[in-house]
Amino acid sequence: MDWYILLAAILLPALSAALCFTIRNQKVRTAVVSVSTLSLFAVAGGLIALMINSPDGKIVFQMDESVLEVISWLIKGFDLLLFGYIAYVGLKHKKAIVFVLSVLQFIPWALFEIFGVFGKVYEPEKAFVIDNLSLIMIMLVSIIGPIITFFAIGYMKEHEHHLKLKVSTQPRFFMILFVFLGAMNALVMTDNLSWMYLFWEITTLCSFLLISHDGTEIAIKNGLKALWINSLGGVAFIIAIILVNCSLKTLSIQAISASGMQGAFTGMLPVALGLLCVAGFTKSAQFPFQSWLLGAMVAPTPVSALLHSSTMVKAGVYLIVRISPAFSGTILGQLVAVVGGFTFVAASAIAISQSNAKKVLAYSTIANLGLIICCAGIGTRISLAAAILLMVFHAVSKGLLFLCVGTIEQGIGSRDIEDMQGLFKIMPFTTVITVIGMISMLLPPFGVLITKWLAIESAVHQPLVLLFIILGSALTVVFWAKWIGIILTMSYKPKYSLEKLTVSMKAALVMLITFVMAASMGIVPLYNQFIRPQVISFKIADKQELVGTGMGILLKKADEAVYGSFASILFFIIILALMVTIPFFTNRIKPSRMKPPYLCGNNVDDDYKGIEFIGPGDKIESVVVRNYYMESVFGEKQLTLWVNIVAGALMVIMLGVVIGL
Amino acid sequence: MSINNLLIAFIAIIAAPLLGGLLTGIDRKITARMQNRFGPPIIQPFYDFFKLIGKQGIAVNQTQMVYVLGHLLFAIGALVMFVLQQDLLMLMFVLAFSAVSLIMGAMSVRSPYSKIGAQREIMQMMAYEPVLLLMVVGVYKTTGSFMISAVFQHDKPLLYSLPLVFLSFLYVLTIKLRKSPFDFATSHHGHQELIKGLTTEFSGSQLALIELTHWFDLVLLLGLITLFFAQPLWVGIIIALICYFFEIVLDNISARVTWQWMVKVTWVAGIGAALVNIVWMYLIP
Repeated sequence: MDWYILLAAILLPALSAALCFTIRNQKVRTAVVSVSTLSLFAVAGGLIALMINSPDGKIVFQMDESVLEVISWLIKGFDLLLFGYIAYVGLKHKKAIVFVLSVLQFIPWALFEIFGVFGKVYEPEKAFVIDNLSLIMIMLVSIIGPIITFFAIGYMKEHEHHLKLKVSTQPRFFMILFVFLGAMNALVMTDNLSWMYLFWEITTLCSFLLISHDGTEIAIKNGLKALWINSLGGVAFIIAIILVNCSLKTLSIQAISASGMQGAFTGMLPVALGLLCVAGFTKSAQFPFQSWLLGAMVAPTPVSALLHSSTMVKAGVYLIVRISPAFSGTILGQLVAVVGGFTFVAASAIAISQSNAKKVLAYSTIANLGLIICCAGIGTRISLAAAILLMVFHAVSKGLLFLCVGTIEQGIGSRDIEDMQGLFKIMPFTTVITVIGMISMLLPPFGVLITKWLAIESAVHQPLVLLFIILGSALTVVFWAKWIGIILTMSYKPKYSLEKLTVSMKAALVMLITFVMAASMGIVPLYNQFIRPQVISFKIADKQELVGTGMGILLKKADEAVYGSFASILFFIIILALMVTIPFFTNRIKPSRMKPPYLCGNNVDDDYKGIEFIGPGDKIESVVVRNYYMESVFGEKQLTLWVNIVAGALMVIMLGVVIGL
Repeated sequence: MSINNLLIAFIAIIAAPLLGGLLTGIDRKITARMQNRFGPPIIQPFYDFFKLIGKQGIAVNQTQMVYVLGHLLFAIGALVMFVLQQDLLMLMFVLAFSAVSLIMGAMSVRSPYSKIGAQREIMQMMAYEPVLLLMVVGVYKTTGSFMISAVFQHDKPLLYSLPLVFLSFLYVLTIKLRKSPFDFATSHHGHQELIKGLTTEFSGSQLALIELTHWFDLVLLLGLITLFFAQPLWVGIIIALICYFFEIVLDNISARVTWQWMVKVTWVAGIGAALVNIVWMYLIP
């Protein structure tokens, strides 16, 4: 049924990629990107409509055996090409580990898929199954992804202008972006673990190509880092595939997810699940694998936005959330929760010491992914709902914030937070959007905070995890509040000038901020329509339930007793009221009533910023205040090594436990 | 939301500032007596409030008032959540929004004193947030629910189960009320190195609203103390008042410490004590 829409989701980006690459004309490219953006929106919309009309909450695409066979061989062919290309990259850049990891993936893959050494390969008949979780991922990929791509039209023009390139590399850039989106769509729709592996590896390769796009020494170095760390995950993934095939006699992801309740958590399956989690950790840049995501910020901003919000890192958490019912309530689940919780608190702590805006965002991404994984590990219905909700809220907010930082960087020529003082004067449009984006990451009644609240309320049975989340949320407030404060700093007599942005950048920012507000305000329908059916369909023992009602959400125990609730809509009324008052207050105060701030002496007369005063001996002094960064406590240098050691130890413990089970 | 709830919320919004202002007046009177002064009349805070409201509007930038309103409205939101016996954990987050809003206001101007005060306030939040959240966890472990209504249905006072959490909360209360020795975000006296810190650049009606918010906060925090003795309620109220008196005494006998000291002690002793208490709650089956 409805094959065309499935094909559109995967092949349409591929077609756009081919068009972008072959037709090297700015105007045509703009047209292609615009049309693809709209078409991908339509694809997402079509799938949503299909899902709403499907009675059992699933869209299943069954294939004839002959078709299945052909596609299987096609996939194997692509696999082979991919191994070859990654090995070639390793040789070309003389990076031995990339080559070795590629070979290490190739050997088990060939033995398993081609020579059948590990027995029959059980390919599921239902090659593509879209349930609500897949649908949510498709929405993120096919709505936020194209918006970021659309933003890139304006951004890359400016970017290449700065780099002073003779020949534009944009055709290649947009090609990879679209391949990336197509692969992500396929990754979340397929039910076949070994097919998923191909798409998984394509995203790895694309991330390498995008990070190293500018071709500078540092870009290539960081790209290779991303490649080898993710290849490590690839090795874990391929071994897990073999183990799953041996123990479950199927490669269906749905079957893996449902395996937990059959009491089959013994033998090779826990090891396979553990390895899949490790693969997810590498992709989602959990400690100790975080360094590739931090390095990824050398890439042009749309790349960071894409990697951090809707694609790549979300693939890792998607996999973990997808298989989490299988280990819900087991020791593996608890360990996954500890790993995620630890990453949450550690990344939030390091973020405090950073003054580079993109790095703060990167650490915040790592922290939030940690929280998602932590919720998946806790494995109750409510925590899984929190995990999926956070995937949505984080994707929209973080996608927006990266684009904002990119815009600010092009506007003021710096990505240092301290340089953003007085931003409101020169870029009022961007500033307002950025601040709302940041508030949506940390304060109630916005979605991210609601998921944090759900996380704490569902972690109460695991004290260590609970402590991690509590400390982490306190640290989160620090780095966001500092940054918001800087960005809102204003002179007492500012002369506003509206910044000039290209249409594509402006449109992208407006669309994303709309989604940020809509997602948070519409949390109840979002939950009831898409997430609740998904969470209920997960086979887990826990029967507590999250209920979305008119005003907000309620947490219910198995016996229907309400033990937590929040009427988030009511608080949005306050937020909206405040937003309405801003122009009222800004216009009400007469210029003559505006006074300079109190400094340590007489203010200098013609200083409209209010940072200069006449000090002792009639010398003009200017005031410089910096935020607290507490490098000596939270510095990257101080913490990274220790945090990596602890996280590495956790990883070893996890593998030890699953092998011992 | 029933009519009854609306009525309760309305009464709370009217009564809380009256009560808070009165308590502040008593605070000033007691403080004065401790310092061998006669002190102002008990309703002096209200005189001050109305005088500030009537002052000519002067601003250091045009958006300050928005942050002050955010500070006030979210504090009221938290109080309403409290009187309607809603989710205690979310109440803490709403309270945090109120605090962040004031920080944003203080940082929106270019005054160094205001900015340093704001930075210190952020450090305070980092210190006390975990303790507040751990307190909520302690309440959950005792009552099995995050709703405040469950506290009132619980048959024994929470204090029996949570003595150390209560001590940590009292400690945090001093920070939250910005009382000495933790008054480093905004000092009582304008002639010190910090000037007035966080509130340096607020004046007139803005300052009046900040004072009003402070009254709301005071009532809410004392209300949270009564949670520990909710059965019967009047005992809780008396204990809360005793605690407030204790805060006043502490305010008068101690000198300001550094924020570094405060963060260290709060993270070690404050979180430590609460955690110890919660650990034993976990071990009780």
